[in-house]
Amino acid sequence: MSNRNETWIALHRLMLATRELDRVIGAADGHWHPALGEEAVVAGCYHGLRQGDALVPHYRGMIAASYARGGDLARLLAGLEGKATSYTRGRYRSDVCGPIEFGIIGLYSGALGPTLEYAAGAALAAKLDARGGVALAVFGDGTASRGNFHEALNLAAVLCLPVVFVCQNNQFAISTSSAREHGGRIVDRAAGFGVPGQLVDGNDVVAVHDAVQGAIARARRGEGPALIDAFTYRVGGHMASDPGNYRSSEEVEKWKARDPIALHEARLLSEGVLDAAKIAELRAAVSAEVEAAMRKAQSDPMPGPEVLGLDRVFAGGV
Amino acid sequence: MARQTMQQAVVAGIAEEMRRDAGVFIMGLDIGQFGGPLNSCKGLWEEFGAARVIDTPISEGGIVGAGVGAALMGKRPIVDIMFLEYLGLVLQQLGCDGGAMHYYSDGKARVPLVVRAKFGVGPYHGHAYDYHAWVAHLPGIKVAMPSNARDAKGMVKAAIRDDNPVLFLEHMGLYHGTRDEIPEGDIVVPLGEAKLVRAGRDVTVVAIGAMVRRAQLAGEALAEEGVEIEILDLRCIVPLDKERILSSVAKTGRMVVVSEAMKFCGSGAEIAAMVAEEGFRFLKAPIGRVATPNVPIPFARNLEKMIIPDENAIAAGVRRAMATG
Ligand SMILES: Cc1ncc(C[n+]2csc(CCOP(=O)(O)OP(=O)(O)O)c2C)c(N)n1
Repeated sequence: MSNRNETWIALHRLMLATRELDRVIGAADGHWHPALGEEAVVAGCYHGLRQGDALVPHYRGMIAASYARGGDLARLLAGLEGKATSYTRGRYRSDVCGPIEFGIIGLYSGALGPTLEYAAGAALAAKLDARGGVALAVFGDGTASRGNFHEALNLAAVLCLPVVFVCQNNQFAISTSSAREHGGRIVDRAAGFGVPGQLVDGNDVVAVHDAVQGAIARARRGEGPALIDAFTYRVGGHMASDPGNYRSSEEVEKWKARDPIALHEARLLSEGVLDAAKIAELRAAVSAEVEAAMRKAQSDPMPGPEVLGLDRVFAGGV
Repeated sequence: MARQTMQQAVVAGIAEEMRRDAGVFIMGLDIGQFGGPLNSCKGLWEEFGAARVIDTPISEGGIVGAGVGAALMGKRPIVDIMFLEYLGLVLQQLGCDGGAMHYYSDGKARVPLVVRAKFGVGPYHGHAYDYHAWVAHLPGIKVAMPSNARDAKGMVKAAIRDDNPVLFLEHMGLYHGTRDEIPEGDIVVPLGEAKLVRAGRDVTVVAIGAMVRRAQLAGEALAEEGVEIEILDLRCIVPLDKERILSSVAKTGRMVVVSEAMKFCGSGAEIAAMVAEEGFRFLKAPIGRVATPNVPIPFARNLEKMIIPDENAIAAGVRRAMATG
């Protein structure tokens, strides 16, 4: 199989996993933040990073990002309830913070924004090491209103850091629409920082992946940061329990018709990469894997009081 | 043996650590050719170059955040935020996130980051605020405040080698003041060890930073009245050297906590509460606190000076303790 075909199948697989995670977790947890409709951004970004690169994902898509980097799905799902088997033994939540051992810098508090600065710092470390490492930071369009976005982009530009910023632009921040969130397009801000900006179809996984990989390659060559505005739509509510009734159903239907998974499936078929039977097989396999992981996670035990100790508050103790 | 000011000693300590470990670097505003505010980085740029002595835009949150990110990737960044007055701009990155990462990752994430900040009433007018209590309240971050040049060198070296975020506070009133004898060689002062600077039988005076010298002056005046105070230089607020405080109070039976920071919810309150909780049986008199009242630090030189505890205020606090038990 050609490299291209392998990549396209891997992207499809990750999109399917992202959707299955939404289906399975959403049914169990009304507070889950689904990435329904945004799977092309999730898969396009998180597939294909190198060992040693730093990944700083958006919270929406964090489990998929952790999985893409090698995390065990059952342990990641155990982290939704802070089970003893989770990567942090229940000390933190996996839905917003992926395991650091996979090179992931997640959200260590609920505050959106600072992770973009952590990405700049991870890129600074990579630059000092001069081994071609990069950092990839993904964030929401709402998060782009934070000062952290501006400080991180400006710093990255001034210091010529190998970091790629991708806006997972789903046009909403909870109930706040783009029109009320920012006065101009996010991609246009790139010029103000003196970095290249690129608007991509966030429902086309290949377009997203190619843009991200292109920017990463450029960063690896030492040519500095880039901003990608991956324009998509949040088809689901902010949370599984949010009916999202602050926007018109016509608008939602219009975007549903551009379902990223269906679009890519059509491409796989028309380009002869996979036939219908193989596609169905892939779907069934991903679904079974996610369901089995969820069953395991749900039957795992909660942590005991031994996790409450003061150990590992300070590295090396105090 | 060299005689150095605190400013020179801190810079010398940083330079030694930068020579020792290629992962150590420093960033901040105007720290390169300019040499840093109050010469806080003087000479580093000349020796280590712009790759490791990094001038940055005015983005305190951004550079402390970048420090956290670089530390997570194995570097040992030092970030100079100029003045503690800007602590509010970096609390999320340094304290709320950076301080929690080791615990939240169950010990896997490490954030060996030093944030330097200048504060205190001194020859440099303005930026006096001592906000360290905000950070002392957050788990996972150490707070260090040297009172003299020798400790400053040893403590900055310990801070750089520490695997946790450390807020390193440099008092501007001490910065270019008296010179200390700095021993040759690799002096490292472990974070969390208070130092006995005067032994005495009557009252334990717990002080830190610029308050240590003032407590010593008070001690000399009180000795003439026949009152012998024992002075502990805390050196760190986190980790707090509870043992040394308690064993001193066990001896004297009285304690006065001196702080340049505001009294209400200041770290002196924590020390007083700790002794009341764990050392009540030793106490012959109520614990006293000598601290700055809860007002923003006024600007006029004389007002600025008046509001911070001096040796007279400390001596008065000690006399109160002696009079009440
Ligand atoms: C600093 C901060 N303010 C507010 C919130 C509450 N909050 C959680 S999610 C969210 C919306 C974020 O929007 P966006 O960045 O566009 O991401 P999306 O949810 O659309 O994926 C908000 C406001 C937060 N987490 N952090």
